[in-house]
Amino acid sequence: MNALRLSFNPAKTLTRVLASSFALFLFSAGVSAQDVVNRWGPTPSASSYGDDFDDLFWLITALVSVSFALVVILLVVPLIRDRARPGKKASYDHGTSLHDKRFTACVSIIVFVVLDAWVLVIAMEDLQTGFWNYPNPDNAATYKVEVLGQQWAWNFRATGLDGEFGTPDDILTTNTLTVPKDRPISMNFTSKDVIHSFFLPDMRTKRDVNPGSVNIAWFEPVIAGDFDILCAELCGFAHYQMYGKLHVLEQDVFDTWEKEASLMAQAAYDKNDTEAHWAWEWQE
Amino acid sequence: MKRLTLLLAGAALSLGMTLPASDPLTVSEGDEHGHDSSASAPEGPHDRPPLDVVLDIHTDAWLRAPSEDWFEAQAELDPDRFSYVDDLLDIDGDTEGGYQDKLGEYELRYDAEEDEIAYWQYISADRLTQGRRDYVQFCSSCHGFDGDGYGRSGQHLRPPPRNFTKPFYKFTKVPGHLLPSDESLILLVERGLNGTPMLPWALSRDQLNDIIQYLKSLSPEGVGWRDVYSEVGHIVESDGDPWTGREAEAIQAGQDVYHGTAKCYSCHPGYVTPEKLAEINGLPAGSMPRENFTYPIAKITENYEVQGVPMLLLPPDFTWQDVRAGTTPLELFETIGAGIGGTAMPQWKGSLSDKDIWAMAYYVRSLIETYKGHPEKRAEFMSSLRTGR
Ligand code: HEC
Ligand code: HEC
Ligand SMILES: [Cu+2]
Repeated sequence: MNALRLSFNPAKTLTRVLASSFALFLFSAGVSAQDVVNRWGPTPSASSYGDDFDDLFWLITALVSVSFALVVILLVVPLIRDRARPGKKASYDHGTSLHDKRFTACVSIIVFVVLDAWVLVIAMEDLQTGFWNYPNPDNAATYKVEVLGQQWAWNFRATGLDGEFGTPDDILTTNTLTVPKDRPISMNFTSKDVIHSFFLPDMRTKRDVNPGSVNIAWFEPVIAGDFDILCAELCGFAHYQMYGKLHVLEQDVFDTWEKEASLMAQAAYDKNDTEAHWAWEWQE
Repeated sequence: MKRLTLLLAGAALSLGMTLPASDPLTVSEGDEHGHDSSASAPEGPHDRPPLDVVLDIHTDAWLRAPSEDWFEAQAELDPDRFSYVDDLLDIDGDTEGGYQDKLGEYELRYDAEEDEIAYWQYISADRLTQGRRDYVQFCSSCHGFDGDGYGRSGQHLRPPPRNFTKPFYKFTKVPGHLLPSDESLILLVERGLNGTPMLPWALSRDQLNDIIQYLKSLSPEGVGWRDVYSEVGHIVESDGDPWTGREAEAIQAGQDVYHGTAKCYSCHPGYVTPEKLAEINGLPAGSMPRENFTYPIAKITENYEVQGVPMLLLPPDFTWQDVRAGTTPLELFETIGAGIGGTAMPQWKGSLSDKDIWAMAYYVRSLIETYKGHPEKRAEFMSSLRTGR
């Protein structure tokens, strides 16, 4: 009884438990990292600039994970190493010596220059070559869409075959947007009521949709299929229901679709119903 | 050097300075270049006067209740509450029988001015207030604070949100010349309208019930639920699906009714070749009933209007537009059977047999399932109908 009590060393046990659970964590994380990404990670990128975005995302995740692990180690090791034991008094250090201050400053600068600046430069480059690299609106390949957000729906207006907004063949849809694959899709956004945010997770595209002003964004889908359209700005009670579908069609299928949609639009067009003609002048 | 510029730009950005590319642009008012002089981007809410929304209602309402059959059914279900009284009303010495509600919610009343007897439902001001509060929170952005269908978010929207001061409803599955029952309205709001911003509303039954009562109370004096002459109807009923297990046959029969007796193609598109159409109708080959046979024809409807402008409604092409009130055979049976209230689409229950309506429900569903969302397949099908015309 007595012997047992003596052989039990709480600090040692704690160290062992911590160390083995950390090993277990690393082991399980290593085995199932792919699973974790598949299940909780982002869907595969479907746009031309999406991969750059993802690379940056994973870089930041990696840098932050490494920094976090380092900080945890630096915290836990001294805690255990310098703890009070029989014959040893715990040592306290507030890091106020000149040496310590220099050390802290150096680490901060290194972290800032190496991590933050690195990430910032890549981010700015990605923005310049991707998100802000707006397609030429006069290029016939650029497909233009006006997006009018509202509580709680997305209204879309495409030009139809004539390439101009505000004409009877404008293709009007609610909550579904059909676009051609491998062409830049240029969008103008505004809102009728409150702030919304147009979010295409698969395209890695997101833009605020504000009342009273027009925002712009673009993307180029490189995979055909159906994707989600979400609202990423809490906009009222039914915000969670404010979603739509993006249909990306191969060019030839799209041509068939566009021709028919344009004809349907003309069948439904009413020139007297001016309140329904909400197109605005294209903004670049 | 380029990296340094980028770095500086990034630093500027994090300091809260805006880069030219992300500058918000102001909307042009009016339109100089577009083709429509009235086209303009919607203005922001800040241009509007401050809202002054009254939430409390202080007057009780008496609204039209369903007809005697409904009370008869209720009396069977709940004999303690509803009972038939032979001399319920005394009108200038003549007695009139009717159902009595022990709870006093429903009442048979005599309107001396119009010389009409009708059942009415009592809705307390408290209940209306409850309904109005939920309505303002959930529905007013589209349907308007006063229920006129012209809320901030309902503007420029087609189809426009319903104007509740008018007695017209499209998708309640109650024949159009009748007012929809409470049950039909609640079901509609719960299910929403597919393809429109009218969402499925996951509210409690009590909330929905109060909201519905409030909507009904928006009828002006002498209109809708405040009109002694109007009648409250119920969702069209069916004795069961006569085609279970014989779907292919139903689709064939439905095609014949659609293009034959029912002449749905006079508004909706036709989906057969001219030869087939002639064969179904026993007409000489080659005669077409109308131009652009494979496209729908939009109809102007005065009953639905926005700011005084009557709406042009497009009967859906089932292979292209969304069907709003459900696409199961039963839902389609009910929709077709009841017709679309306030529009050109009539009630078919009664003028066609239930069996024929069920057949058309199967046919319409097969069109949706086969072609909607498959632009290539659809184009092939439609052009096979159009060629040789
Ligand atoms: C985002 C806009 C929006 C909101 C919010 C909204 N509605 Fe609607 N509602 C519509 C539109 C649009 C229609 C017309 C659809 C059509 O004609 O096809 C409609 C139609 C209706 C109809 C009539 C359907 C018919 O058969 O004619 C009812 C009843 C209705 N809404 C009730 C409600 C209620 C109750 C709420 C709140 C819980 C609500 N709506 C919230 C947009 C909205
Ligand atoms: C006189 C014109 C007319 C005729 C005839 C007609 N319809 Fe319609 N129908 C309409 C209109 C208009 C609408 C759409 C109303 C709206 O959405 O605003 C409609 C809508 C529909 C809908 C969609 C309902 C929904 O839930 O969105 C179905 C299904 C339908 N019609 C079936 C039929 C069938 C089947 C026939 C033949 C038995 C028929 N219609 C005959 C005018 C017509
Ligand atoms: Cu939103």
